[in-house]
Amino acid sequence: MTSVELFAWLTLGFPLAGMLAVALGARKLPGRSPAYVATGAMALSFASAVATLISLQGLGEEHRQVRAVAWDYAKTAGVDAQLSLLVDPLSVFMILVVAGVSTLIHVYSIAYLDSDRGYTRFFAYLNFFVFSMLLLVLAGNFVMLIVGWAFVGAASYMLISFWYRRTTATNAGIKAFIINVVGDVGLVLGTYFIFRHTGSLDFLATFEGIKEDFASNDPDLVAGCILLLVGAFAKSAQVPLHTWLPDAMEGPTPVSALIHAATMVTAGVYLIARMHPLFELAPTAADVGAVIGCLTLLIAGTIAIAATDLKRVIAYSTMSQIGYMIMAVSAGAYAAGLFHLMTHAFFKALLFMAAGSIIAAMAGQQSLDKMGGFKKAMPFTYGCMVIGGLALAGIPPFSGFFSKDEILLLIGDRGGWYWGLYVAGYAGAFLTGVYTFRMIFRAFWGAPVPEALELEEGHIHHPEVHANPATGEVEDTDVGFPGPEHHIAERETSMKVAMGTLAFLTIVGGLLQIPKVTHVIDRFLEPSFHESALFEREPSGGLIGFGLIIGTVVGLAGIGLAYVIWVKNPGMSERIRERSRGLHTFLVNTWYFDELIDFTVVRPAQWLGSFAQQTFERVFVNGLLVGGATGIVRAGSSAVRAAQTGFLRYYAALLVAGMAGVIFYFLLAS
Amino acid sequence: MMFAASTIAGPEIDWAGLSPLIAVFAGALFVLMLGLLRSRAVREILVPSLSIVSLAVAGGLSVWQWGERTDLLAGALRLDELTLVLTLLFCVAGIATVVLSWRHVAPREAAHGEYHALLLTSIAGMIVLVAAQNLVSVFLGFELLSIPLYVLCATEMRRASSLESGLKYLVVGSVGSATLLYGLAFVYGATGATDFAAIAAVLGTGGGLASDPLLLTGVALTIVGLGFKASVAPFHQWTPDVYEGAPTPITAFMAVATKAAAFGVILRLFDVALIDVSLDWGPPLAALAALTIVVGNVGALGQSSLKRLLAYSSVAQAGYMLAGVVVASRLGLQATVFYLAVYLVMNLAAFAVIVARERDTPLGDDISSLNGLGATRPMLAWPMTIAMLALAGFPATAGFIGKFYLIDAAVDGSYAWLAVFIVVGSMISLAYYLKVIAAIWMRPAEEDASAELALPPPAAEPVLSGGSDEATGARAQGEVVGVAVLFGALTIVLGVVPSPLFNLVRDAGEALGLL
Repeated sequence: MTSVELFAWLTLGFPLAGMLAVALGARKLPGRSPAYVATGAMALSFASAVATLISLQGLGEEHRQVRAVAWDYAKTAGVDAQLSLLVDPLSVFMILVVAGVSTLIHVYSIAYLDSDRGYTRFFAYLNFFVFSMLLLVLAGNFVMLIVGWAFVGAASYMLISFWYRRTTATNAGIKAFIINVVGDVGLVLGTYFIFRHTGSLDFLATFEGIKEDFASNDPDLVAGCILLLVGAFAKSAQVPLHTWLPDAMEGPTPVSALIHAATMVTAGVYLIARMHPLFELAPTAADVGAVIGCLTLLIAGTIAIAATDLKRVIAYSTMSQIGYMIMAVSAGAYAAGLFHLMTHAFFKALLFMAAGSIIAAMAGQQSLDKMGGFKKAMPFTYGCMVIGGLALAGIPPFSGFFSKDEILLLIGDRGGWYWGLYVAGYAGAFLTGVYTFRMIFRAFWGAPVPEALELEEGHIHHPEVHANPATGEVEDTDVGFPGPEHHIAERETSMKVAMGTLAFLTIVGGLLQIPKVTHVIDRFLEPSFHESALFEREPSGGLIGFGLIIGTVVGLAGIGLAYVIWVKNPGMSERIRERSRGLHTFLVNTWYFDELIDFTVVRPAQWLGSFAQQTFERVFVNGLLVGGATGIVRAGSSAVRAAQTGFLRYYAALLVAGMAGVIFYFLLAS
Repeated sequence: MMFAASTIAGPEIDWAGLSPLIAVFAGALFVLMLGLLRSRAVREILVPSLSIVSLAVAGGLSVWQWGERTDLLAGALRLDELTLVLTLLFCVAGIATVVLSWRHVAPREAAHGEYHALLLTSIAGMIVLVAAQNLVSVFLGFELLSIPLYVLCATEMRRASSLESGLKYLVVGSVGSATLLYGLAFVYGATGATDFAAIAAVLGTGGGLASDPLLLTGVALTIVGLGFKASVAPFHQWTPDVYEGAPTPITAFMAVATKAAAFGVILRLFDVALIDVSLDWGPPLAALAALTIVVGNVGALGQSSLKRLLAYSSVAQAGYMLAGVVVASRLGLQATVFYLAVYLVMNLAAFAVIVARERDTPLGDDISSLNGLGATRPMLAWPMTIAMLALAGFPATAGFIGKFYLIDAAVDGSYAWLAVFIVVGSMISLAYYLKVIAAIWMRPAEEDASAELALPPPAAEPVLSGGSDEATGARAQGEVVGVAVLFGALTIVLGVVPSPLFNLVRDAGEALGLL
């Protein structure tokens, strides 16, 4: 086993070991120690990821796609299922982001979840999630990918429903799980379509032979790729399979930061990048991806402007940003899309952590309508929020600026109808500026609310009666509900460390890839995309200058508009709302997507279900099939047992009769 | 000079090739003599230990001989990977049986020396049987394996059902042996050869032998005779009664080792000697396989005795394995041998649990003896659960891969309808396997209930004079739990890492030179 393989397996192994240690030792680990075990496992995993990077870079460029096979699971019937990892720059890039951000979020959670009665369970789940996610990105064949994909969905479900006595949380978990299973089905079916022609489940073998197996835009390949996209859309919350993500904000805030912003929801982006040889051979499917990504980024942006729940605003912005990434990787801007994935992981995790801090100061309350004036009471949180916000809005020199603009530049550079995506991308950037700073202005500026004043006097607000902020249902603080204490970044070192590190990365992360200056990401990822026709492209010089300027201007204009509406003229937003009541209702109801799904899928399914249950099942299945089949089996069973009398003479007679039958057959055949 | 020329040249003897067989025979003779000593320690500890040693040595010698492909004793026996892999299975089954009998009542009643000598002789018979490539050595092995087993079934001499089981097995078994001998004689009459290779050569030249009534009658009788040993319906009737009555360690041994021996000789006879008339015997064998699957699975549904349940289950599993024979291909042979190995692992785990429960509870092998096992004895509950899931073909267990392999072989050999039977049979089988799991995990233990009902004491019902009460009561049985845990774990391990076993059966498949 080479060092690359060893470190890759270790990266995967540490979170698994951590999960087992925390879960099995749950009763024996006192106080905060489960968190230390889990966080230590993550730190070791991240260190292994770095070691993987170093040893991979030590290999020649043409050897940087390492297949690490632990053993063959099955090699029969033309199935080549192995327990194998594919260690190449793309997967190493992903494990660095996943393990790195996860480690910081573990650090943050040490303090944030401190008083929760499910503390140990939380860290076991969290480690399990990271293990699943690493399995997903390191998978060397479709089987492992599907296993990782499904594990991640299960981990997400467990963490969304972490406060399992809260009905809103369990409902959100169920919704997320169901939509994710739709995606799983898409992924499995897509795999089948492709496997049927290639005859191999291994990634590298599939990619090598893909040009012989399929003609360009072969119908089966397009169908397979679109099914893979269904999987990607469900996991990455793209229209119309996005409705679970806003609801998933019912989970604890570190979960939102880790799973529903930085890592899991970007799995779709990774999938498309990993499958790029397939998508390049099926341009129709790739175009579907690009258009859906573009639609998502606009739709989510408009909803975010009207949303009033702090975490949901960030959730919609996540959807929107992933729309950019999906659009990028579908249109062939792989490095740019992955670069944005990385910077987004930094600044979005930071924004969620800051949101978590302010929600703690509001004692669990998440509504922007009730927040205001926290600037003075929470200077550190405010600073982090502004840094994250500027990066999100794409203001130089913050990281989001470089990554988002590179995506748009490369898409504009492809010309043709991609110009439509290019323009829509800038429109989305404008919306981003507006909603990001609407959120910041409403939470931190203006007159301080009572909670902010209480905090300025040095006391964190704690309500007398704990209640679900969404529904007002009264809760206690035992296991299954949030704990009694709340923790803010200003007072907890671990939260400060995590947020500070991310803030630093948010500021400098963009410097890795400045157009015409640095190409770290491009160079690093090249071996994974060496056979791609679309990878080696550099936007033309004129477009770069124009694009960078327009990106800045659009972002600033968005922030300016937000300033005018929510700071300069305090009553203005209400007046706008009055004037465009219809539009506002439409946005507040999130484009009626939930109702649409309800109408097109849930209702017919319910009707069909009740029909099946009342008519079909009762009459046909129960009466005829089940009744008939069990009747036959039962009758057969008693017949067999009746023949089993225990009398030797009967046995001998039956034996002779059977023998006569067999001989009779043979004689007839002769 | 005259004198020298007139000596009869005996066959050249390849001692190395025969070494596993010799080890087992030598062990049998030695423990038989040793059992005559008066010392209790010698009889109860040294005799079983030496049996284990001789089996372990035989296994080790088989591993040493791996890769050899030669004829032994003038072509009477064949040494190849098929022989060796099955010899390994017999040794494992034998060792497990000795361990399960360690403190069992049967060897004490029958005298340790004889019990173990019979067991070893039976194993030697199995080795001869699967190595046989001559009609005469087939019959020799067949009898050598059967006669000790008739006695072993009746070793719990003071329990009526044990005696009944032995007698039934003897009578029905003799009918089976006679049928087989008759069939072999017909085959010899039709082809004029007893050697497998010579038979194949005669059949390969064509000459209308494929539709010769004499040959076909012979094949039919051979199928019946061997089908009897392998518990193929409709020749399975003895199975539930004998399995139920025999001492449980012997039942376990019969279930796994006898079946492996029967399938070993079926594979060699049909896939080597009779391969050219496979179109003749394929369809009827497939019909028997389908019938066996249905009868086994359906018969198991209403059983409340675990040993009867496993007996029917073993009938059904024989049907599955027959599918691998029917297709007459290398893939089929590999699938059958693979399934024999996983079948051994799964069943030994289950039988070990039954042995343990027979000693723990007064309920014998009734399914209710497992009630509440999940809460009280997890070390027994898990192996049983795993074994049941594996027998039903649950994914991530060895049973799943074995069944998958068989289905693959059936479809590949254009017997897809038989694959459908396997799947439907597995579906039905869930009904009774899950019943066992439900008893383990979902029913409360009924310690008090059994006491109130005043059920008859366990295992040794003293219905005949001189019943020994010593047999009752829970005793230390670490070794039984150990067997259960070991084979339960192996079931999972082979389900996750099947490739070592794949490699073994691949060699076995190559040895027979099938397509």
